[in-house]
Parts: sequence; C-alpha cells; structure tokens
Amino acid sequence: MNVFFAELIKLKRSLSWAVVILLPIILVASGSIMTFIDGRGLEDGWNTLWMRSMVFYGLFPLAVGIAILASLIWRAEHRGSNWNALMAGPTSSLRIVLAKAAVIAVLAVIMQGIALATVLVLGKVVFGLPGWLPPQYLAVSVVVVIACIPVAVLQSWLSMQMRSFAAPIAVAFLGAGFSAFLLVVGLDAAIFVSPYAAVSRATQLGTATFADTGDITLAVLAMIAVASLLLSAVLAAANTLVLERSDART
Amino acid sequence: MSLIVATEKLTKKYGDRAVVQDLDLRIPEGCVYGFLGPNGSGKSTTMKMLLSLIRPTSGEAHVLGRPMDRATRRELLGQIGSLIESPPGYAHLTGAENMRIVQRLLDLDDQHIDFAVRTVRMQDQMNKRVREFSLGMKQRLGIAMALARQPKLLILDEPTNGLDPAGIEEIRELLRRLADGGVTVMVSSHLLGEIDKTATVLGILSQGRMIFQGSRDELFSAATPDLLIDCSDPHRAQGALARAHGCQLENSTLRLTGIEDDRAVAGVVAALVGESIGVHGVRRDEQTLESVFMGLTAGGGL
Repeated sequence: MNVFFAELIKLKRSLSWAVVILLPIILVASGSIMTFIDGRGLEDGWNTLWMRSMVFYGLFPLAVGIAILASLIWRAEHRGSNWNALMAGPTSSLRIVLAKAAVIAVLAVIMQGIALATVLVLGKVVFGLPGWLPPQYLAVSVVVVIACIPVAVLQSWLSMQMRSFAAPIAVAFLGAGFSAFLLVVGLDAAIFVSPYAAVSRATQLGTATFADTGDITLAVLAMIAVASLLLSAVLAAANTLVLERSDART
Repeated sequence: MSLIVATEKLTKKYGDRAVVQDLDLRIPEGCVYGFLGPNGSGKSTTMKMLLSLIRPTSGEAHVLGRPMDRATRRELLGQIGSLIESPPGYAHLTGAENMRIVQRLLDLDDQHIDFAVRTVRMQDQMNKRVREFSLGMKQRLGIAMALARQPKLLILDEPTNGLDPAGIEEIRELLRRLADGGVTVMVSSHLLGEIDKTATVLGILSQGRMIFQGSRDELFSAATPDLLIDCSDPHRAQGALARAHGCQLENSTLRLTGIEDDRAVAGVVAALVGESIGVHGVRRDEQTLESVFMGLTAGGGL
C-alpha cells in the first residue's frame, strides 16, 4: 500500500486532474448534444440518453483518456533519473507495476463517476427528463469501472516501455478502433483478448448496439467482469516479468 | 579489512563493444572510494551494474557480502543509497513532497527524513518546487533521498557535476562527514581535483579497464617522478647523458625520466662525476596527483 500512497503524492498538481474532469464531461456531452441540436427527441428517455452518450464515449474516448492518464503518470518517471532512482530502491517490480496500474485505474474510476454525473445533469437539466436514470445503469457503471482496469494495466505497461507520450495513446486509439470493428462483426469473445474491447463492450450493455442484445443479464455482466479481471492479471504478470528482466535504458 | 564491494571480471558488452571489461573492483568497508576516469570510460555503467540496474554480460558483483543479481537486488538495495547520472526528483512537487515519496517507499519515520534533509542543509528550501531548484539544490536533494534510508553504502555518480567551487567543496565536506559516520562512499568523477582530497582509495578506469586501484600513496609510487639534477656544466652533462637516458634541459636543470631505483640514480651521478662535472643537486620532481592521473590515462591509450 505504501507504494500506492507514494503514487498518490505524485498526483499533486498533476495535469491528469484536468483530463479526469474535462474529458468525460466534454465527450459524454458531445455524444448526446447532437440530439439537442437537430431537435430529435429522446424517444426512450433515459435509455436513449445513456445510449447516445455512453456508447460513443466507450467506443474510443474512454480508452484514449486512460492512455493519456498513463502517459502523464509515466512522463514524470521518464524525466531525469527518476526511473533509475525508483528501480535502484527496495520496491519489488510487482509492487511498482501494481501501484502504477492502480493509480491509473483509480483516476479512471473517478472519470467514470464524472461521466455518470454528466449523464444525470444532461438528463435533468438539459433535457428535463422525468424520474432518474434506471438503476441497472449503475450496475453497468460498476462493470465499466472493472473493465477500465485491464486498459489501465496495458496502458501503464505501454507507457513504461515506450518512454514516449504520444505513441501509447496512438496504440489505444488504434486498439479501440480495431476492437470496435470486432464487436460490430459480432465477435464478442474479443473481450477476452483485447482490454479495449472489454471496456467498449461494457459501455454498450443494455443499449442493443453493436454486439449487445439489449438485455442486461447477470451472465453478461459476470462475463465482462471475469474477462477484465483475467486480462488484468495476465497483463500485470507479463509486465512484471518483463520489467524484472529488462535493463535500465538511460 | 573487509570489502563492501568486490567484483570478479565484471564485463558489460553492447554488441561487440565492451564498455566495461574484466573489472576487479575492491572497495574496503568505511572508505571513500574515488572512481576516476575520463567521460565514457565506463564509470556509470559499472555503478549501474553494482545496483543491478543493468546486468553484466559476464563476471559478477558482490555487494555487502552477497552476490548482487536480480534475485537479491531488492533486499540489498534497501541498504544502498545511490545517485546515478542526473539527480532524481519530481519537478512538479516540492522538496518536502519528494522526501515524503521516499519515506513512503522505504517505510521510514520522520526522524530519518529530517536527518537526511539536515545533513545536506536543505531544511529551509523544502517548500519550494524542485523545478525552481538550482542544480546544486537538486544534487543535495538527490543525496538526501539517497541518505534517508541510512545506507551502509552510498554510490554517487558525478555528484559534483555542474556545481560551482563552493558547491563542490560542500559535497566534499559532506562525503568526509559521512565516511566519518561509518558510511562507505563510492564517488565517481572525471576530474581528479574534485575527489583528490576526499578519497582514501582510488580506482582509475580507462576505456572500460581498471588501470590503477589502490591508495593515494600507492598511486604516487606507481608512477616514478622525474629526477632533477643541478650541476656545474648542464650543457656538457646533457650531452654525456643523452645517449643512455632521455635527458632534457630546463633552465639550467637536467630532467631525467624513468630513473627508478637508487642504484640508477647513483649511476647517473657517477657518470657525471666521471666526466668531471660537479653535481650539487639531485632531487625528485614534485608530483601532483593530476599529472600521475594524466600519465596513467594517457598510457592507457586515452
């Protein structure tokens, strides 16, 4: 836990907070704002609002957002000799990998919270919808958060390895695009291979878009959660092995 | 005397190019070990291998009595403070926040942190952000971060790089205090003058090979200083000695190099007396460590 707390100190005055707050607000809003502009109504109320905002957000902005967070978190390590100093300490490679992924995942959780809040504000204030967001979308949000974890682990690894700010973000963009294609053609099993597919699939739950049937069943929630946790464990283990065997590059 | 660092034929190659070759490092416990060599001679690479930041191509390193490798490094690194290449520090955080990260990572109490900060005399600067620090302040913060764990061994790579003379003197004084407190310090530099007066043991590296390792006195005796002779007729004396020895005339003093033992000195004097030249002064040249160092590194094919 100490390594994780050390990571939290590094978030002070970090640019990542701007990403965490602005990215979900802007992109969730832009997904549904077209509805407002071209005068189409929300035929099915909250369900339609959720579909237009969250499915768009989950297609690539969410993965790219996590990639930007990972690049920002790792940028501080790649400057000067910070990475050497961390690797020349007693903290094990596994704990470093887990702490980095955890701090990125925590930011992703906060981002999902803000995305959810944005949907609520849009529904009540902008569209004046009656009632509240159906509770099943809260369960969906929990699964989205779980599906963010393997993306956080993978992006943390890419940012650690590539030492570049933009390259891992480009990987996330391409990965998310390719994964969306796999889901369009109905290859639901992609969620067991691609973290980007897992997170996109989670945001589509209950919307009958892409590979989704429109029904939120316990089985499909569990499948996405299990796939996410499996991917996270495999990626974290692989990252740790690679880190343990690699040499300092500077 | 027990050794805190010992390497056996430590070698690092990148492709065919050997950056460090067959290094047998011997660092006695409690000393200040001055690790000298020109830029690019392999000092940083060696230090990184001692910390297992990079793995040797062949050979091995023993640190604190145990082999240093990927299986043991995390355990050993808790007792080794280091500063490699440039000083670490997160620029967007204050000095105090940087120290708090070290405190969390190493699970230290407040006294350890206070002690380290006071040792480098940074207690009044800790609320500034690191990006506002001068290079000297960054170096001192980096040393504080290395010191906080109360290491048995401190490995500092060019800690005086870019510092002004006052800053260099301050680091020297700090290293002396640390050594007096029982910490073994390994410090590298490409400038002999910077660690000349601090180091008790010296290792000199040239093109990845150790060309000298030992005490200051041993270094002086490794390279024999020139013989200087004052006599009644220097010009004739030069002619008489030129054939047998390399002999130069400086003002009215003869300078002979490579005259090693007392018998050779006596032979030179006898030869001059045999030519009826009056010898009224025979002495060894004053030698600075700098000139010895230059001689050794030049001999190593710099």
